[in-house]
Order: sequence, then structure tokens, then C-alpha cells
Amino acid sequence: MSKILIAEDEVLMLKALEFKLKKDGYQVDVASDGRQAMEKVKSNTYDLILTDIMMPFVGGMEILSYIKNDPIKKSTPVLLISAVGLENVVLEGFHLGADDFIYKPFNLNELSVRIKRYIKQNVF
Amino acid sequence: MREFVTTFETLFNNAIFYYALFVMGSYVILTLLSAIEMNGYMKKNSYVNYREILVSPLAPSVSILAPAYNEEATIIENIRSLLSLHYGNYEVIIINDGSKDNTFQRMFDYYQLEKVDFAVDYQIKCNEIRGVYKSKLPSFSKLTVVDKVNGGKSDALNAGINVSAKDLILCIDVDCIVQEDAILKLAKPYLEEKYQVIATGGVVRIANSCVVEDGKLVEVNMPKNLWPRFQVLEYIRAFLMGRMAWSRLNGLLIISGAMGLFDKNTVIKVGGYDHTTVGEDMELVVRMRRYMYEQDRRFKVVYIPDPLCWTEAPTDLQILGRQRNRWTRGTIETLWMHKDLFFNPRYGVLGMLSYPYWFFFEWLAPIIEFLGISVFIMLALMGNINWEFSAILIGMVYFFSIALSTVAVLFEEMSYQQYTKGGDLVKLLLAAFLEPLFYHPLTVYWAIRGNIDKFTGKNNWGAMTRKGFKGNNASATTEQTIT
Amino acid sequence: MNFFETIINYIKETYTDRLVYFPSNIRVSLLIILFCAIAVLELYIYIAFRRLHQASQNRELKNWKEHIDNMLANLIIFDESEETDDIVAHFYPKMKKLPLRNSVVNKVLISEMLTYHRNFTGQIQEVLSILYRKLGLDKKSKRKINNKNWEIKIEGIREANEMRITEMADEIIKYTDDENALLRMEAQAAYIKLSEKDPFHFLDRAQERILDWHQVVLFEIITKNKQLTIPPFSKWLRSPNDTVVMLCLKLVDHFMQFDAADEVERLLKHHNPRIVKKSVEIIGKLELSDAEKNMFEVYFDQPEDIKLEILNSIGKISSGNYNDFLASRIYSPDIKVKREAFYAIKRDPNNGEDKLREIYKQTTLENQAIINHVLDNRIKS
Repeated sequence: MSKILIAEDEVLMLKALEFKLKKDGYQVDVASDGRQAMEKVKSNTYDLILTDIMMPFVGGMEILSYIKNDPIKKSTPVLLISAVGLENVVLEGFHLGADDFIYKPFNLNELSVRIKRYIKQNVF
Repeated sequence: MREFVTTFETLFNNAIFYYALFVMGSYVILTLLSAIEMNGYMKKNSYVNYREILVSPLAPSVSILAPAYNEEATIIENIRSLLSLHYGNYEVIIINDGSKDNTFQRMFDYYQLEKVDFAVDYQIKCNEIRGVYKSKLPSFSKLTVVDKVNGGKSDALNAGINVSAKDLILCIDVDCIVQEDAILKLAKPYLEEKYQVIATGGVVRIANSCVVEDGKLVEVNMPKNLWPRFQVLEYIRAFLMGRMAWSRLNGLLIISGAMGLFDKNTVIKVGGYDHTTVGEDMELVVRMRRYMYEQDRRFKVVYIPDPLCWTEAPTDLQILGRQRNRWTRGTIETLWMHKDLFFNPRYGVLGMLSYPYWFFFEWLAPIIEFLGISVFIMLALMGNINWEFSAILIGMVYFFSIALSTVAVLFEEMSYQQYTKGGDLVKLLLAAFLEPLFYHPLTVYWAIRGNIDKFTGKNNWGAMTRKGFKGNNASATTEQTIT
Repeated sequence: MNFFETIINYIKETYTDRLVYFPSNIRVSLLIILFCAIAVLELYIYIAFRRLHQASQNRELKNWKEHIDNMLANLIIFDESEETDDIVAHFYPKMKKLPLRNSVVNKVLISEMLTYHRNFTGQIQEVLSILYRKLGLDKKSKRKINNKNWEIKIEGIREANEMRITEMADEIIKYTDDENALLRMEAQAAYIKLSEKDPFHFLDRAQERILDWHQVVLFEIITKNKQLTIPPFSKWLRSPNDTVVMLCLKLVDHFMQFDAADEVERLLKHHNPRIVKKSVEIIGKLELSDAEKNMFEVYFDQPEDIKLEILNSIGKISSGNYNDFLASRIYSPDIKVKREAFYAIKRDPNNGEDKLREIYKQTTLENQAIINHVLDNRIKS
């Protein structure tokens, strides 16, 4: 079973995402702030990481750059969730190696399809 | 002779009584004003969503200016946390003020700096800028490092202003802990006031015993040590009550050196920070206000009561004393430089209210208190004192100060409620009871020492002070001007 | 024990029998002491009770939140293959059972429904809207909008706004020019989203200022909302309300409305320098070369910041008509003017950078430094 980490500081969103991905059949780990997320990222391996950009303590960008600079974890797909549509943020995200951007508001079913695709890609 | 002493004693008692009544009355008025302002702010602010400024291309651009002098131990972390603030359009300018340690080399290596061909426009006089550096890495594109010849904090900030390419400048102490939404909150007034805003200031809170990780505040705790705990009380009173009231009157004179957001053009027009005073943060605001009055322009200095900046307060009495000594000298210097404001109606609230208040309460009050105590001791030695009356008078002041501190604690409780643990309130209460007995006399003593140092010419009105602050006394830089 | 008794007795006597015999100042002092002591005591009792009350409220809130969180999260992940009506039919009875009269429950439910409505698109939004109405929450929102308290009005407006209760637009328009700035802004923001016929009608009647902050908010809403029909904003560029003109200029800029060119050019003579500056910026950004001449003509009467903006715009248009002018500006006494002129020259599509290098060979040391600065692409301004 594929393992996914969701990092999101808005409790409600975290819950909805958790429920949704569990229903899709993934093993789900959650972090409600950036620090927790960082600790989990450091001590576990995931098949995919879904993280909000703006979180208390440690931002999604930092988590992203940690993963993409780690020789082993580098291949883990990272999807960034953001309400920020600023071009430079998106650019910075892709620069650091983000695999995809999800803008709030988004369609949950669409997200679930995208996640499926990234996880499949990684298996092969 | 005996008769004379008795009459003198009655007079003395009366003088103390009326003076105390006057001071207490002023405090009551200030408290009421701050309650009104605080209530308005909290109500208004609960309907604000800061996300819009964060993402908007219309938000004002901000340069963070942080002077660094011998900060090698922490500079890398400090910069990292400044680069991760929540704001769209901002840059971070670190000014290496001729550090004698490896501050510059550390930054150079870690952030992979390279010198750029920056043609500095010296709009404000400052010591020579040796070079302007940018990072080769795209993820640090917000960072600029300025390397200059040592000239003190004011001079470093002036250099930063000359390099800044943005509309607003956020002047901070590099080692304080900045909340992530600080710029958002400080910048908002620039977008909503009818009149031009020339400066906004934030609250400084005390970080002693708090848990800090990765340059960010994780858990707020009441300081374990008694001296910083008194300062917590002192800061709550000053920031939540005093400044809020002055903000209501649009007469705020001080924006703390630890964190203030200024309109860059106005700062340039008034000539930037004055490096001849140790109270440069207060002096700048006074000069900016004065300039606006002279230009006949309507303006505002806004104060944001949210806890945006946390700093380590001195626990060592000697360092604390030196800090207060410097504040006193800074106040005297600023008052002296702008002495023509005193009850000058041309300068509105500044001349008729703020300046006199600072003159009587911040400068004169400790002196009067000291004189009062001296006379009291003299009378006591002459055996000519009505102990009961004196005790009652002192009791009045004591109880009033406790009541005032309690109201301040209530303000904190009803607004930000930073100290949530059960015992914290009791600790604050205890501090309120002990403060007038142990801490307050010390602050009076330090203020007197400041006055003596100032007037015995230990440092003249001029350049000497700067040397005392930065040049000769490196350890002074570990403290920071807060008030 | 005796010691305390003595003290208590002393205090008692001081405040009863002896009080009248004290001189007046001592008597007043005694009264102030009494007042302060009582005040301190009461404040602490008040704070303690406040904390207790808060704690019990938080407990209640937490319980309900947990319950409602789970209910809504289950609703959110309902399968897309299901019919909207079926999902509603499944969840409505459960939600109906909640004690909606309880203000805590009401508040939590509404805020969570709004949060999900805001963050997700697709069928979920529709389901939430239907449930909102079925539970009668829309009527409550309407009542809030007509409450006399401005804070409650704002709450109601926000609910109507987020839940797209379009029929509320007519209720809201009356607040779009309200004296209270916060209420005014919320109403304007909601009106844009809710009015189906004429979402910008409020601009016609706006007499109160639209503060910069509100412009930020409105700008966000207007530019991010894909369903909105964007009108030609030049329509309001003659508004007597400067803030309306300013907002519309920003929108003309964003949507690149070239048909506003004449109106923008006319604004170069506007009395408000901020409007002049913005107009200059737009002329540069949209490369309105017809306006270049006019812009050049007003140059010398402008304050420094607008001068810089004009140089910048001339650089962006880079028609070549003002090359001599730009070349003369590099000898201006003002370094900022020089720098901007160099930047403008650099933009020249016919090898602007080479031109700068050419000038470099025969100019002052100061200008050479500035040219280096301008040519250094690592410095962004």
C-alpha cells in the first residue's frame, strides 16, 4: 500500500484530505504544521508528499527543498498546495523541484486522480 | 528653625500628594484612551483577512534592513528566518557594519554571495560602503548583503536605506524573533489610512524562557528569572497601555529600534538616522513628525499592538542598568535636540502634548522621585517626620501602581492572552506586588546615573556617545534599544 | 496572631473613627488606597472567572467541533458518481438532528461549511449550497444582514457571499456606500460576486473613498473570479471619486484594456499625482506610443517620482523618438533620474546595451558606475 504524507495547517482541510486519501486506499500520515511535517519527512519514507506552502514554523518550500536535496528521497513526488497565485512563488517552487501545484480552491476528485498518476509513475 | 522645618514638611507632603495625583490622573487618562483604542483595534482586526495583501501585486514593497555587528554565531539562522516571512514583495538587506569577527565570511560562504556592480546613491550620509553582494543561488534572490566600514547602528541603517529599492523600510534588530506575519500587519496601515502614514511600530515582547526553534517562537513561557519577569510586566504596561493611548492621540513618539516600518522617502527627506545620539529610534520619529508639521502635511504614526517581535531581555543587572542608562541618555539627547518643540503650538500634538509628556514623565519624573526620597531621608534624619502620613502617601502610590499593573494584565488577558499556563497569572500578580519595591527603585537609580553620565560630560552632546556605544564597547551591541 | 490583629484594628480605625481627623490630602490618599485595593481584588476575581468560563466554553466547542468535523469530512469525500440529490438526502437528516439553536453549534457548522465551500470546487460546492438553504441557514444570514450592529451585518454578508446566495445582492447594495469603511468594503466585495445583472453598479454611486486596502481586496476578487464579465473600466475614469478612478486604472492595467488609451492619456493632466503616476505607468506598460508625446510634455512639471515613472515608460515604449531626451537626462544632477534614463536606454530594442557601453567610453566616472549598475542583471529593482 502506498504511503502518503499530508502537511496542512488548516485542520479542516487536513481532515478532508486525510479521509479522502484513506478512502482511495492509501496509507495516510498527517502533520498539522511544518515542524511536524519536517520531522516525519526526515524519519520516514513516503511515496508522495502533499504539502501546503504556508504553514507555521516551517514552510512547504523548505520541506520541498529538503526532499529534493536528499539523494535518496529526491525521487519522492511533492505536490504543493497553495492559495498564493504569485508567479514568483510558483516559479520558486518549480525551481526547487516541485512536481505539481494545486491551487485552492480545487476539485478533490481531480486531486485524487493526479495523485494516482504520480504514484503509478513512481512505481515503474 | 523647628517651626520652619514643620511647615516645610507639610509643604513637602502636599507637594508629593499633588504631584502624585497629577501623575496618577495622567495614567488614568492614558489607560482609558488605550482601552478605547485597543477595543477598536481588536474589533476591527477580527474582520480582517490578511491573505489579500499577501498575494496582491498592489501591496507596498518592503526592504528589511538589519544591521549586523559581530553576530557570527547566529547570523546564518537569523537571515534564514528573515527570508521565510510571509509577504509577497520584499527584500532582506543585511548590513555588515565592519564586524571584527567572521560574520561576513559566514554569510559569504553559506549564501554563496558574489559582489555586484552596485552604484550606491548616497542620499543619506553614511560611512563608505565597501561592496554590495547578492547570492548566486536563486532561492536566496531576496537577499542583499552590504559590507561597510564600521559606523554604528544608525550609520548602518542609513547605508541600508541608500541601497534599498523598495517603498517601505522595516528596520529591525537582526537577532530578534520576528513573527511570520509581521510585515503584513505593519504594512496594512499604509493602505488604509486617509492620511499619509509615515511609520508603523510593533510591540516588542520578551522571549526569555520561551521555546525557540529554527528562529521561530514555538512556545510562550513566563520568564523563570525574576528580572525579566518584571520587564514582562513593564513591557505589557508600556506597549499595550502607554503606546496604544499615544497612538489614539496620534502623538506616538517612539517606535522601537527593534522593529519599525517607515516610509522610505520621508526618512530620506529628513536625512535618515542621526548617529550622534544613542536614542536614534526615538529621535528619528520626532524628526519625521516635525518635518511633516513643517510641510503642513497631515500624517499618522500608527502602532500595531499584536505581538510581532520577541527579544531576549537582559537578566544581568549590570547589562540591564547599562541599557536603561542609555535609554535615559537617548531621551535627554532627543529632548535637547528638539527643545524648541516644548509647548510650541505650531507642532500640534507633538509640541503641546507628546514632547511635554516625555519631558515631565520620562525625563523629569525619576529626578523628582529621587529628590523626593532624598528630602524624605533628610527630614527623617532630623527626626521631623510624621511617619504615619508618609506611610499613607507612599501606600497610595504603591497601591495605585499595583492597580495599574493589574489593569495591564487584564488588557493582555482580554487581547492576546500569551501567557496561558495557570501559574503565569499568579506569577504576574506577584511581580506586580514586588515591582514597586525592588525593580522600580533600580530603574530610578539607573535613570539618575544616566543623567549624571550625560551632564558630567562623560559623553558630550556629540560624537563621543557613538564611540561609547559601538566603537569602544563591543558588548553594548548585544543589547538592543527597545523602548 | 496578635500582630495581625493589631494591623487589622489599625486599618479599621483608620477608615472609620479616625478618617475625619486626617488632613484632607491624607484622607484622599486613604480613599485612593481603598479604591485601588478593591479594584485589584475585583480584577483578579474577574480574570479568574473569565478563564474558567473560557475553559468550559472551549471544552464544549471542542466536542462539537470534533463531531461536526467528522460529519462534514465524510460528506466531502462522497463519491462523484452519486447524484447530488442522493448525497443531500443522505446527509440532510443527520445535520437536521444537530441542535442548531445552540449558538456554538450554529457557529461551528456555518464556519466549516463556508471553509469547505471556499476551498473545494465541483459538486461539493453545490451540495453544500443546497444543504445550507435546506437547513434554513440562508434565512439566518439575511436576518444578520439587516441587524443593526455592523459586525453582525458583516458576518451575514460574508455568509451570503461565500454561499453565493444571489438574491441577497439587493439587500447588500445599500451598504456599498456606507460610512463604515469595513462594512462598505464587505458589501462591495459581496456585491461583485452576487449581482447577476450589473456587478459593478456600485462604482456608479460610490461617494465614499475606496481605501487602498479595499482596492487590494476588490482587485483580488475581480481578477481571480473567472465567471465575472469584465466591463471596460474606462467607463469610470471620469468619476469624481479619485479612489474609483485609481481602482479602475489598476484594472485597466491588469486586463490590458487598450480601448481606455484616450482616457488614460487625458488623466496625465489630473490634479491627483497618484493618478498621474499610475496613468504614466499604464502608458508604458501598454506601450501606448500615441500618448508618448503628451507624457513628455508634462515631464518637466512633475515631482521626482513621476519623472522617474515617465522615463521608465519612455523606455518601455522605446519608439526611439525621445532618444535625445534620454541622452540629455544622463547629465541630470539627480542620480535617480540618471539611473532611470540609463535603464530606459538599455531597453532600446536596437542594442540598448551596446549603446550603454558606447556611452561608457566617454562619460563621467559617476555615470560609468551607474552604467555598470544598470548592466548588472543580478541587481533587480
